Amino acid sequence: MNEVERHILVIGGGIAGIQASLDLAEMGFYVHLVERLPSIGGKMAQLDKTFPTNDCAI
Amino acid sequence: MDVGRHPKIELLAYSEVEEVEGDLGAFEVTIRKKARYVDESKCTGCGACAEKCPTRVPDSYNEGLGERRAIYRYFAQGIPSVYTIDPNACRHIAWLRAREEGSNVKVKKCGICEKICQAKAIDYLQQDRIIQRKVDAIVLATGYEVMNPRDITEYGYGKVPNVITAIEFERLLSASGPTSGHLYRPSDFVGKRSIPDHLPHAKRLAFVQCVGSRDKRYSIHCSGFCCMHSIKEAIIAKEHDSEVEAWIFGMDIRAVGKGFEEYRLKAESMGIRFIRGRVAEITKGKKGLPVVWYEDTKTRRVQSEEFDIVILASACLPSKDASLLVEKLGVELDSFGFIKTRPFAPFDTTREGIFVCGCARGPADIPESVAQASSAAARVAQMVMRESRKAVAQ
Amino acid sequence: MKDFEKPEDVRIGVFVCHCGSNIAGYLDCKAVAEYASTLPGVVFSTTNLYTCSESGIAEIKRAILDKGLTRVVVASCSPRTHEPLFRSSCKEVGLNPYLFEMVNIRDQCSWVHMKDFEEATEKAKTLVRMGVAKAWFLEPQEDLEVPIEAKVAVIGGGIAGLSAAESLADMGVSVVLVEKSPHLGGLVSYLSSLAPHFSSPEEVLNPLIARVENHSGIRLYLGATVRGIEGYVGNYRIRIETREGEELQETVSAVVVAIGAKPYVPLGLYGYDGRGIITQLELEKCLRKREGDALGKDVVMIQCVGARSQKEGEKSYCGRICCITAVKNAILLKELFPDTRVSILYRDMQTYGSDFEAMLWKARSMGIKFYVYDVNRPPEVREGRVLFKSNIFSDEVIGLPCDLLVLSTPLIASDDATAIANLLRVPVDANGFFLEAHVKLRPLDFATDGVFLCGSCRFPCTAEEARIQGMGAAARVGALLSKGKVVSSAIVAEVNALSCCGCKGCLGVCPYGAITYDEVKDVCEVNPILCKGCGTCTGVCPSQSVQLKGFNPKQLLSQVHASVESLKEILTKYERI
Repeated sequence: MNEVERHILVIGGGIAGIQASLDLAEMGFYVHLVERLPSIGGKMAQLDKTFPTNDCAI
Repeated sequence: MDVGRHPKIELLAYSEVEEVEGDLGAFEVTIRKKARYVDESKCTGCGACAEKCPTRVPDSYNEGLGERRAIYRYFAQGIPSVYTIDPNACRHIAWLRAREEGSNVKVKKCGICEKICQAKAIDYLQQDRIIQRKVDAIVLATGYEVMNPRDITEYGYGKVPNVITAIEFERLLSASGPTSGHLYRPSDFVGKRSIPDHLPHAKRLAFVQCVGSRDKRYSIHCSGFCCMHSIKEAIIAKEHDSEVEAWIFGMDIRAVGKGFEEYRLKAESMGIRFIRGRVAEITKGKKGLPVVWYEDTKTRRVQSEEFDIVILASACLPSKDASLLVEKLGVELDSFGFIKTRPFAPFDTTREGIFVCGCARGPADIPESVAQASSAAARVAQMVMRESRKAVAQ
Repeated sequence: MKDFEKPEDVRIGVFVCHCGSNIAGYLDCKAVAEYASTLPGVVFSTTNLYTCSESGIAEIKRAILDKGLTRVVVASCSPRTHEPLFRSSCKEVGLNPYLFEMVNIRDQCSWVHMKDFEEATEKAKTLVRMGVAKAWFLEPQEDLEVPIEAKVAVIGGGIAGLSAAESLADMGVSVVLVEKSPHLGGLVSYLSSLAPHFSSPEEVLNPLIARVENHSGIRLYLGATVRGIEGYVGNYRIRIETREGEELQETVSAVVVAIGAKPYVPLGLYGYDGRGIITQLELEKCLRKREGDALGKDVVMIQCVGARSQKEGEKSYCGRICCITAVKNAILLKELFPDTRVSILYRDMQTYGSDFEAMLWKARSMGIKFYVYDVNRPPEVREGRVLFKSNIFSDEVIGLPCDLLVLSTPLIASDDATAIANLLRVPVDANGFFLEAHVKLRPLDFATDGVFLCGSCRFPCTAEEARIQGMGAAARVGALLSKGKVVSSAIVAEVNALSCCGCKGCLGVCPYGAITYDEVKDVCEVNPILCKGCGTCTGVCPSQSVQLKGFNPKQLLSQVHASVESLKEILTKYERI
């Protein structure tokens, strides 16, 4: 769908930033994902499990 | 997670956006890539360095409940899977800096990690790098911060032992956490060099809802997801140990998502107790354990109960870490301090070409954040393509 | 069975991973690698600190090129973590990615035998021997690539469907929008105003409808019904019956389900009569016409009518938006007719988030009264009064005068949900709402490729949430279609038409509807695009005619036998050497 490569900056590597980056990249955009901390994952990476299925967070 | 390996994603972790200039279709972004003092391209993430590093510091990933070394990986499965030296904790960097300044600081040089690393990835002299990127649009997914409940003095956080926040409790429950998933009272192990043997398990848990939320003194908004995470934490704790007794104190239990009410009912059927009302005070009892004071609204009497751990569901607040960036970008905030959007243009900030999704625009749970992220991606695509069609037309 | 290459052309490389200390701390990796080098066919073996690291990958690639490896076996962690990485690394240097085999000596060995170094080492050797045995019988496979057209069908023209259609069309995707009723807008068009900002539905809907109606990329079918859906990702054929009664077919690559939900009608509850005792939706209609004052001065609203209930015919879930609707309508009533006294009887006030909670504070400040009622002693309506016992303050009965009783009922699954679910072969939950692929991480996808969902057919949601989900579903579709092709894994089931007796045993157990029966040839056939490679069919086939590529009986049995036999015995038994 994209003739010229379009670049998008995503700021924040939590679950929202990760999903936005993946969807944009899959749609053909080139994504620059900036995260303040040493690793991506955000708050969700700190969770033990998630409800209602009690699946692991990571 | 696929982000680290996607051919169309440049992952700039441990980096911060410094400046943004320009408009939709032509932003110029300046990014500071902070020095890790480790060469990302060489580090294999083996962890030998951290094993031998002599300096221990409270681990922020484990909310300070555990320790990490001065050279560390933020968490075990973290992406990118490389180590980082905390320059404020590393002796060797302190020694090098002192030597450079010629000051007479009493730190011993170290350099152990450099000797241990087989991949030759350690670089104590690494500098921050400033990089430039040209982008068509910007998505803010800067998240939220958990309120520090210290300000709510009547809840005793930081003073009464074993009063902790929900995210601290998540780390206690986690197999990758400081107690390897054993539910111990923090007062029994925090600050000790290793976890003592034969600690008693915490059996009585109190969950206190709306800590700083729905409260005129702090923030009037509802943080949306705390009722559910408290129920989840109570259920998991009970699954760990069926003798656990869990009480959830809340004004309304907001189980509004798909499968949530059913989950709340499951908690009830497991014997988790729901007490309606806002907790008045948490004090230190005779045995040094926290005591929760509340009103039994039926008998109109003040009641108290002693617990092993009290878990505070503290509010979801606008991110302070992002506030400087938000100010630089010149996007407006709403009355709660979250990034302002327009009704039915739910991702457009007040500046064209800059979009927002997730908790940066207000409390949202995981599926909402995911849906919003996809949706913001669609909005970006729509705007950028509209813009490029306009450009072609001209 | 295809012919294998000559035994001397089987050149296996084995890479044993330390995984830091995860494996090397509990067993002797070097001894495992040395043992591997003694196995028939193994021409190279080594250990790596992390086989998945850049240097580990480089070593695999180098060995494939320098040693002429024709099979690669990595003994490390679970295939769920790094198999895709190892396969693609093989492919990058020209080795067919399906000539790769992974042995899990971490989760299945070092982690479970942490206390016995010797035994763990021996077990790892056995696991490696089993992996090498399977590697002998691996065959090259090709992934399937099918070109797809950027065309999608959106079913449902409410706010979710409209938002999805508009976003997709703006991305350059052709959209077919099918709406059952003669007009667009769905439930939102019946509302008086939208929480939390009290925007008018027209203000939101009209521009959106105009953009959809005038968009060159959108073909609109109003008053039309979906009669049939067949096919799979990249090739869905949808039969549509138009308003005029004509039947036609559209072929699309993907489908977005946005059929919405309908309000629960509280027949038999609290004396519901649609006049003095009405639902929130009926109140919305009065408020739209600014007719609320004719309804009386004392208004009482009861929440959770037909919701959060275990009673027959009622719904057990919380309707999510009913409290928000009640508070919004109460505020509207007070603003339009300040003399009205409004009371809301509730169980838990569900004004989640920032703006809705602020709306609740506003309602309180306007003098709207909120009472908690006890679910075990629900309110009674008697002679123009609502009597209830609150479980908060005491057992005292509270009586409120009531000219108009408004019942807050939940949205429930649309009548069409089951039919659409059957046509698309997608699941619904216990409440009849569509069930997404993953409730947390994939809220807008179905597990079936190429089918997406958004709005209240997933679960009741506000108008803004429906818009968000509609646009989100558009991004998910856009991500699928932008590449112009779908690639599906080569690990799929395959039917041997010569031995298949057409018993249809496999057809009945396939969870993906990937198997069809050819009456003329009297055999079953697998659609490789629909097949997900689960292997269920292979378990029921009485003649071993349906087999899963990469997991055929020879491959699996050689691996199983290798647990107790020497590799040489197995290779001889299967006439491989």
